Amino acid sequence: MRRPDRWTGGRAAGTAVVLAALFLSASPPDRLSAQDSQFGIRGLGTPGRWESVRSRTTGGAFGPFDPLSPLTDAPLADIGQLTATAAGGTSNRDATIAGTTTRLRATRFPVMGVAGPVGPRVAVAAGFTTYLDKSWDVTLRDSLLLRGTLQPYTDEIVSDGSVADVRFAVAARLSRRIAIGAGVHVLAGSTRETAERRFDDSTFHTVQQSADVRYDGLGVSGSVLLGIAPGLSIVAWARSDNRLRAQVADTTSAVTDLPLMAGGGLLFAPSPSARFAASAAWRSWSKAGAGAFDTWNWSAGAEFGSRRMPIRFGARGGQFPFGPGTTAPTETAASVGTGRAFSQGRAVIDLGLERLERRGAGLTERVWTMLVGITVRP
Amino acid sequence: MTRRRLALVGAVLLVAACVERLTAPGQCPDFCPSGQITIVDTLLAGSIGPDSAFRGYVLAYESPLMLGAHVPGATDTLDSRPIFRINGVGGRFILSATDTGAILGADSARLQLYIVRRDTATHNLRLQLYRLPITIDTGTTFGALAAPFTDSLIRTVNIDTLLARPGGKDPVTGDSAAVMDTVTRRVFLSLKLDTAAARYVVPDSGTVAYGIRLAANNFASIALGKAALGPVLQWYLRVDSLGTTVARTPTTRSAPFASFVFAPPPARLDSTLAVGGVPSAHSLLRVAFPKFIRDSSQIIRATLSLVPAVAARGAPADSFVIEARTVFVDFGGKSPIDPRLGDTTVIHPGSTDTVKIEVTNLLQLWAADSTHPTTLVLRPQAEAQFLGEIRFYPSVAAAFRPTLQVTFVRRFPFGVP
Repeated sequence: MRRPDRWTGGRAAGTAVVLAALFLSASPPDRLSAQDSQFGIRGLGTPGRWESVRSRTTGGAFGPFDPLSPLTDAPLADIGQLTATAAGGTSNRDATIAGTTTRLRATRFPVMGVAGPVGPRVAVAAGFTTYLDKSWDVTLRDSLLLRGTLQPYTDEIVSDGSVADVRFAVAARLSRRIAIGAGVHVLAGSTRETAERRFDDSTFHTVQQSADVRYDGLGVSGSVLLGIAPGLSIVAWARSDNRLRAQVADTTSAVTDLPLMAGGGLLFAPSPSARFAASAAWRSWSKAGAGAFDTWNWSAGAEFGSRRMPIRFGARGGQFPFGPGTTAPTETAASVGTGRAFSQGRAVIDLGLERLERRGAGLTERVWTMLVGITVRP
Repeated sequence: MTRRRLALVGAVLLVAACVERLTAPGQCPDFCPSGQITIVDTLLAGSIGPDSAFRGYVLAYESPLMLGAHVPGATDTLDSRPIFRINGVGGRFILSATDTGAILGADSARLQLYIVRRDTATHNLRLQLYRLPITIDTGTTFGALAAPFTDSLIRTVNIDTLLARPGGKDPVTGDSAAVMDTVTRRVFLSLKLDTAAARYVVPDSGTVAYGIRLAANNFASIALGKAALGPVLQWYLRVDSLGTTVARTPTTRSAPFASFVFAPPPARLDSTLAVGGVPSAHSLLRVAFPKFIRDSSQIIRATLSLVPAVAARGAPADSFVIEARTVFVDFGGKSPIDPRLGDTTVIHPGSTDTVKIEVTNLLQLWAADSTHPTTLVLRPQAEAQFLGEIRFYPSVAAAFRPTLQVTFVRRFPFGVP
């Protein structure tokens, strides 16, 4: 009879932790200038996905039920033991517009958090996730009539940074069927923005301006998890963020209203080795101003096999909140993944692969994202 | 086996974690940032003044060069003549540690000169060596030497002819000339002076003074070196040694005084902005630096335009460089010049074209340091090393006043979505 994980013990868990730490701490030789969605350049940015790797590889459908995904708070009530998680993802993006395709690449660490019970029925969590990615690097080639001569130039406008959602959440299981949760979200982050213009005629000095832009905001969230029947649960959640304030050198440069959000999900687990979920969410991003749209997003996914090494897949679709034109860009994605538990489940590595396509206003983005998550239960 | 898999996975992840820095070609306006770089170009016509010119910064004898020129003009001839004095050995010569002998005279001497700048297009360049009174000094004028430059010619040497000879040597006269290197094209000239030319006058302690006039088929202009590249005289003496005349060769003698005299003298300063000449002239331009430019994000180009009031003076081949600098404190003509930054342009004698100097660096300094005086100094880069001088219209000449054209950038709207 096979004795699972016998050899792995502490060494395997340690190896997994080291590998994950290496992955998460690997830094590029040059300054980071990752590329998020080109749709977000004229908007607030690219909204993050508040999901662990496990949830994301089911298309996000398991997100509302996942205590390690910072989307909802109520599932924290079932966390059971102190748990820490982190995720990283590398995206390879093909942006095609007017027949020209540009290959872009980015590495992100969208989720980190720790959660644990503080009482028989109460659990708390803290961590951060990406609220808005604001990294992009745009080059322009144009010319300008200056001193009576047409002067060709190259512009490079760069934004590097993001807005993080720092969450403090608490959840309680009120009964065998009902759990509730609430969270406070502190939005904080910064971007290093640079604008550079190089004239072909070097008599004109290179224009180089830069600024550190700081962002802040505040939000609250709440959710309810209901057990309808054995193996069948539903969840409902809502969140409200006030505004995103941008400051440059203590001067407010912009204040942007942030959306209300609401969503729900359904989880069906007919057997211990088969779990199905679906979810939907609405976000009122149009409050952010021109070029922003309210969005609907849906997802569906499944997880098969033992929790020690499951197979996951899913799909999602909906809209992206920012883009030119009169309608929101659309996005669809499919994902697949697996996980591997070590040391009686004290360490888990989740792997995933996602294929995303966004379309709108003549731009098509196709993205391959490789995801790695590490979960440790000491 | 599983360990190997984990290691493989780790390696793959590490490779994947490396982030490339890539840019996307902007498709504007849909997929570009809303903020744009805004360039403003403005002509500051009335922002310069009051201005003034000052002369006397570097005098002829302070110049590191001796300038020679013969440039006939429409109304007069620019005539510049190097002059120098070489002190002698004295009346007696040290024969040994315990013995000296009276110097009886000189068999000959060899005068060495460096021509550090010349117009290679000049043909038949001739140097005429004159003996001058040994009383020449810093106050000696061109007119005071008119007589010796007329009746005291001791040698004439044709530089072009000498250089064209095999090895640059004239076996008859003993003169030689050689181009020292192909970069500076300096010419080393060695002239042999016979007994008549190299008179060792004991009452004068052997001190001699010489002057040089130039002649050529067309314009002639040269610069002779001083000090380390200066005139050097090698005496070949006859000395009395206990009643016997012996030949002795003392160490070479350099010229403690070396200068040049020229005519016509520089025109008196008037309201125009003079730059260059000898003694060298500077001009000060005080700029009312507008606050809206000082507060701009960045000055990317600034051009100072100056209209010559008269054609630049000087030998046609002797283009000279003038530079614009700022001052630490504005004390008028005695303002200490900030040596850190300077912008230059070349002046071509005879030209009346508008002169433009890119002064971007200087205005960027003013924008960065609001305590810095916004005063520009125009001066020759090599002071008193060229006879050339240019005069610009001052700010009071409304139609031709100096102007500044400034191109600057407004602050980028960072943080605005």
